[in-house]
Amino acid sequence: MPASEFTYPSVAASEEKMLDDVKMVLQENGVDEYLQDSFMLVVSEAFTNALVHGNEQNPQKTIKLVLNVNKEVLSADIVDKGRGGLDKVEHRYPPTMFSEGGRGVDIMRHFASSVRFTETQYGGLKVSIRFDLIKKNKEERLT
Amino acid sequence: MEITLREEANVTILSLKGRLDMATGSALKEQVKKLFEKEKTAIHLNLGEVEFINSSGLGALVSVMKEIRLRKGRLTLSDLASYVQEIFEITQLSHIFEIFTTEVEALNSYQAVTTG
Repeated sequence: MPASEFTYPSVAASEEKMLDDVKMVLQENGVDEYLQDSFMLVVSEAFTNALVHGNEQNPQKTIKLVLNVNKEVLSADIVDKGRGGLDKVEHRYPPTMFSEGGRGVDIMRHFASSVRFTETQYGGLKVSIRFDLIKKNKEERLT
Repeated sequence: MEITLREEANVTILSLKGRLDMATGSALKEQVKKLFEKEKTAIHLNLGEVEFINSSGLGALVSVMKEIRLRKGRLTLSDLASYVQEIFEITQLSHIFEIFTTEVEALNSYQAVTTG
């Protein structure tokens, strides 16, 4: 199946629209509900990070989302137009128990098979998320 | 997200329905702020119909809890779907929130504190 590509302005309302778009793509491809929830959660964490920390909620700056869904893998690339995002991720402080933020990266790493952070040639942050379905199915059969 | 309010034995119950994320988390905080203006600080959140929560939604809940504690009030949660419960577990927030299986159990706990 070809990749699905979306672009959103950096405003809070885009998160709801993005979740609707991701859900639609997953449902069209018959992805099971638990996987839908987990994938949407991980994508939303990367998206919020791009919105708030990358593009600093500047509506002129966009966030690009590319989804790939097939029988072996679910993947998403989330790309912002900020600066220094990679440095912020690498030097982030772990949240304390009563912190209101800072849990997104840990949530992403818990649910996804892999999460990769790279910098674009323009200095923005690209988050590449991958859920390996084949491996997951094998694990389920073994348990 | 929809928030419906009702009152039972001096506890304000907010039932949340839909997605709890950055935008709707702000709406929840605003709603709770209005309750503070009416000096309501015993608050129960029924999360039974929350279909999605992310770290921004969790952040809103932590913010609400801190504000309630500042006012010497009490916040309880109940009816977490297993998927939502899992997110509370992995972020270890299950250790700082009072989480009950059902709303009835949560409300009974307020009675126990009052009469105990």
